[in-house]
Amino acid sequence: MREFINWMADPIRSFPVVCVLFFLMMKYYRIVGTKKFLYLALAFIIPTAIWFGSDPNFFTILILPDNIPIIILLVLVGYLQWFTLYKSAENDKRIEAGLCPIEGLPENREKVWCWPNLVYTELFCIIAATCFLVVWAIIFKAPLEEPANPTWAPNPAKAPWYFLGLQEMLVYFDPWMAGVVLPGVVVVGLIAIPYIDTNPKGNGYFTIMERPLAMWGFLFGWLVLWIYLIIVGTFLRGPNWTFYGPFEYWDYHKVVAEYNVNLSEFLWIKGLNTSMPQNMFLREILGIVVSLGYVFVLPPMMAASKFGKGMIEKIGNMRYYILVMLFLLMMSLPIKMVLRWLFSLKYIVALPELELNL
Amino acid sequence: MKKLEPGMAYKTSKLNKIFAFLSVLFLMVVVWVFLDDYIRPWKAVQIEAIKIKKAKLEEKLKKVEGDIDEKRLATLQTQLDQASKKVSTRRKEVFAIDKELKQVLKEIKSETIINGTLNSQVSARTFLYEQVQVKIKKVIAKGKEPSEGLFDKKKAIFDDLKSFKGRFLASKDKMKFLQADQKRLTKQKLALNKEVTETNKKIKEIVTTKELLELALEKTKMGPIFAIRNAPFVDFLDPTLKIQQIVLENITDDRYFQQVPKVDRCITCHTFIDKPGYEDQENPHRTHPKLDLMVGRDSPHPMKKSGCTSCHSGDGHRVNDFQSIAHWPEDKEQRAEWVKKYKWHEPHRIATPMLKLSQTEASCVKCHQGVEHIPGATVLNEGRQNIEKFGCYGCHKIKGWEHKRKPGPSLYKIASKVDKEFFKNWVWSPKSFNKHAMMPSFFAQSNNSKPEFMRKNIAEVNAMAEFLWDKSKSYRPFMKYTGGDAKAGKELASSVGCMGCHGMEGAEKVSEKIGAYAGPFLSGTGSKVDPDWLVSWLKKPSHYQEDTIMPSFRLSDREANNIAAYLLSLKNKEFEAKRFAPLDRSARDEVLLAYFTAFDSEEVAHAKLNKLTDRQKTLELGYRSVGKYGCYSCHNIDGFAGRSPIGPELTNEGSKPLTQFGFGIQKEVEHSRDGWIKAHLLDPRRWDKGIDKPFQDLTRMPMFYLSEREAETMTIAIIGQVNDKIPLIGVKQLDAREAIVEKGMKVINKFNCVGCHEVDGYRGDILAKYEDDLNEGPPRLVGEGHRVQLDWFHYFLDNVYPIRPWLKVRMPSYNLTDEERNTIVTMFQYKAGQKALVDRSKIVNWKAGEKQAAKELWEELACASCHSSGFNQDEPQAPNLFFARRRLRPSWTKKWLKDPQAILPGTLMPSFWEDGESQAPDILGGDSEAQMDVLVKYMYDMGTEKLPTKNTKYWSKQ
Repeated sequence: MREFINWMADPIRSFPVVCVLFFLMMKYYRIVGTKKFLYLALAFIIPTAIWFGSDPNFFTILILPDNIPIIILLVLVGYLQWFTLYKSAENDKRIEAGLCPIEGLPENREKVWCWPNLVYTELFCIIAATCFLVVWAIIFKAPLEEPANPTWAPNPAKAPWYFLGLQEMLVYFDPWMAGVVLPGVVVVGLIAIPYIDTNPKGNGYFTIMERPLAMWGFLFGWLVLWIYLIIVGTFLRGPNWTFYGPFEYWDYHKVVAEYNVNLSEFLWIKGLNTSMPQNMFLREILGIVVSLGYVFVLPPMMAASKFGKGMIEKIGNMRYYILVMLFLLMMSLPIKMVLRWLFSLKYIVALPELELNL
Repeated sequence: MKKLEPGMAYKTSKLNKIFAFLSVLFLMVVVWVFLDDYIRPWKAVQIEAIKIKKAKLEEKLKKVEGDIDEKRLATLQTQLDQASKKVSTRRKEVFAIDKELKQVLKEIKSETIINGTLNSQVSARTFLYEQVQVKIKKVIAKGKEPSEGLFDKKKAIFDDLKSFKGRFLASKDKMKFLQADQKRLTKQKLALNKEVTETNKKIKEIVTTKELLELALEKTKMGPIFAIRNAPFVDFLDPTLKIQQIVLENITDDRYFQQVPKVDRCITCHTFIDKPGYEDQENPHRTHPKLDLMVGRDSPHPMKKSGCTSCHSGDGHRVNDFQSIAHWPEDKEQRAEWVKKYKWHEPHRIATPMLKLSQTEASCVKCHQGVEHIPGATVLNEGRQNIEKFGCYGCHKIKGWEHKRKPGPSLYKIASKVDKEFFKNWVWSPKSFNKHAMMPSFFAQSNNSKPEFMRKNIAEVNAMAEFLWDKSKSYRPFMKYTGGDAKAGKELASSVGCMGCHGMEGAEKVSEKIGAYAGPFLSGTGSKVDPDWLVSWLKKPSHYQEDTIMPSFRLSDREANNIAAYLLSLKNKEFEAKRFAPLDRSARDEVLLAYFTAFDSEEVAHAKLNKLTDRQKTLELGYRSVGKYGCYSCHNIDGFAGRSPIGPELTNEGSKPLTQFGFGIQKEVEHSRDGWIKAHLLDPRRWDKGIDKPFQDLTRMPMFYLSEREAETMTIAIIGQVNDKIPLIGVKQLDAREAIVEKGMKVINKFNCVGCHEVDGYRGDILAKYEDDLNEGPPRLVGEGHRVQLDWFHYFLDNVYPIRPWLKVRMPSYNLTDEERNTIVTMFQYKAGQKALVDRSKIVNWKAGEKQAAKELWEELACASCHSSGFNQDEPQAPNLFFARRRLRPSWTKKWLKDPQAILPGTLMPSFWEDGESQAPDILGGDSEAQMDVLVKYMYDMGTEKLPTKNTKYWSKQ
């Protein structure tokens, strides 16, 4: 069983599994978003978690001082996700029945004083959070080590937990892309959401039915491309950033067979059985065409489709193209991951001469 | 559900309750924060230390109190009472004096004021006067006549100044009188109080120690002030419990690209480490066990200058708890104890954890570099000696060891020394021929005894033999072995001095005692070498090998033959019967092919191989195998000059990160530097165990069959090789004198002089054989540079002649270069701190009657009964004194006469002037100094100026 889980946990297999789980969750959110489901899930998760923790290898990873906040956050993320689905399911049922959402009921629209209702409770939260942090700091001492030695880096060298998703992306992308372009786009995209999403539905209440695209798209990026990658980065990446199953000992000498090939090499050497052309643009022609096509041909094609037309009608050309670009860039990550696993593809466009690798 | 007020989501009273609860919780947390910050393990240790100190002081105080003579104190007390009574009768006089004194003091005070005022007036007038002077000068310089007014002003100021100066001097005079008065009166008063003061002084003498101890005890009190100073919140002001640290400016820590002064806070817990008197305590309260050498204030390594972690290693600046310093347990028991007591675990990612206690000496090498021998570092010296013995430096470069000779014999002329069959069997398994062999075993080890590997190894050994024989130069022994008396040979070999460098079969016990290693252990020689070669070698070693360190013992032909006969009688039949497997050509080709394919494709490699003839193939493999196993690192082999040694450099081995040590799958080896090195030394091939390696990748470090002790001491010497950058100021710098001595010590070690001679307490291995009577062994060289004259010494090293005719052991003749000879001579000179030459013409200057006295003394003390050479026919038992004129320094000779035992304990020379008391009181009035002086003169007077040659037997003047 443990062997099997170790085997399954490899991103090659676990990523599709997570994608399928995400699909099922969103599809059947009305089942997931019930209290009964929560209890059943807890009844399954708690023993499983205990069983996982009983493994000495996994336990050592769990109790690393760096990882404790991640565990707390994961629990919170899980609960809040369920809570969203629960509330959405409740509201969507009412909306289907022609009623207003719960938040729209008259008793929920009544206004109360800011003081003391809000300010006082905020103070409680501040005090309670401070107490919690202080006690935590006392019990789990800061994992300070000896003075940093640039010639003796820790192995694995891990980013702070909130950047582990980015670090995981580095496996698939050039540092320029994974470290600068994509994080930049993520930030810009998050800032742009209120300006793109003009749909007034869902203001002040949870719903999935009324805004499926926004919910599906965002949650995919959040849960699958961010949280999942953090989990992988935290628990499943060991020395040398090699993948280790949860029950696997972090053996520093583990060797993994990995040899990645550029798309241009596929084309010229494997496909056409000739040598690589001297001119670098000619060499990378296929990759360039595919990339340009992905960015410039795909959006208009989508716009021409029935779905695209409807979208443009609703939000206008400008918003549509920005949204599509953001979406395509987001999707480039899973696409690249899958290509890497299936074909050991290194770069679609490999122009190290220009420091440009896609 | 209760009704809420309008505009409210919660009930206010409920909110208040929550707030109250949270406030209390927050207060508790804050208190917890402070307590957590306040309670530190080292504070408990310091309080414990104060308690220990208190107990010690109380004990001492008790003892001091017991020592006080109560009776005497009581009498002194009554004396004091009487004295004060007596003094009180003089009250009137005292009163009068007091009155007078008061008046004088008052006057002094007022005079001081007057004096001060006048002084300032004088200064001010002087300034004014000078100003006018300058003004006048300026006017004159302009070529004008100064006005009358100016001159008048000048005169007026000058008069004023004069009068002030006069008054000032008068006041000063008066002051002197007053001070004299004060002195006189004080003295009178004291005289009146004399009895009381004196008795008080006597009492004070008795109770001072007690009072001092009481004062110290006062400081250990943990009263309310102590509590307040160390209370939480206020302990930032001036706590008594605090972190103590030593900051070392002269030793730095490497903080990656920056050297910062070392900070050691170890003394925070090891409170008494530099204070004698706590030797009986448990750690951390114990005194340093070697206070006279380390840590102590007057030691060469005081705490404030040398710190702690400079020797012990570890993270000296971290005092969080026991773990953070990276303490390291000595052994398994201590490890278990610490795990239990301190929850100790192996420190993570600490570059330099603490050295095990028994390995601390390793750190000496950090600062004491370029020396052959570090006094006091017993274990380290032993380790370094073992490194020399087993020749580690041959294959592994170690900075500071470059001057050493290759540890193995030269193979330039191997073919004329041994036969090929012997060679192959020897290389295959040196220990099977001679269990004391220093040559390590490369073959039939744990990682290469698979048949497949053996087959290839055999081919390699065969090829190496062919290669070496091919390269070997021809050599013809100059003497023929004519047979001899083996018994006499054995007798001679064991007495003439061979054992200073060689162990010998048949004398294992003595050999073990001596522990000689400069030459091979003589065992099975008859099965090894050619008889003619052996005789020639014994007679003149440099004939076969020019740069050998084996000296000539000036053996006669007969003696050489006798010793040869004995050595040839030592045979190893079992080894002789061995037949080495013949060359397997297919194995040879396989191995060669592997070499070729490393750089060429298989086709090219095959072609290359096929181009070679059969003989060429063998020689090629031989050449490559000598390179592969690094034979050339220890032996001189033709064709390998200038190749760098085969092993990795060990200069910085002690700083190599632990992650770079390959532990393989050897889980039972302790995961530390020393653990790896020791395991490696004991069995270098262990890392291959359980790992499937191809033939060419097998670990090649050979097996030395070291004892546990040898491996341990060598490990200590190796982990001391660190790359810490220590500022020049912190390193032991040899001064000019020490540098010359060190240079000489290197030569002395090279020729193994110390195998026989003990040089100022250093080694003298062979003396172990003469435990019963050290006078039968080679002379101990104590202050040799003071004993002998340098020109004689220089001559002697090249022209050895017998000085002590009763000795069976011989000083051999070395093949020294001029430079080496000079180095040895100057070394002894500087070691003893002597001038180079003695002016012999000035020694003998007889005064009237001295010569007669000297003759009488000579007879009286019967010098000639032992120093008989040239005086009578007795067997001489002491050196020939006719040679003393050229050989000894007069100042040393006198020192020797004065107290021979002080120079050479156990010498047969009697002390005639014990404690300065002459045994011939009638001569020269019994003046010891004068007697010794005339005797020295007498000796130099009769001595001869001519130096003896090799053929001079015993000198005779009569």
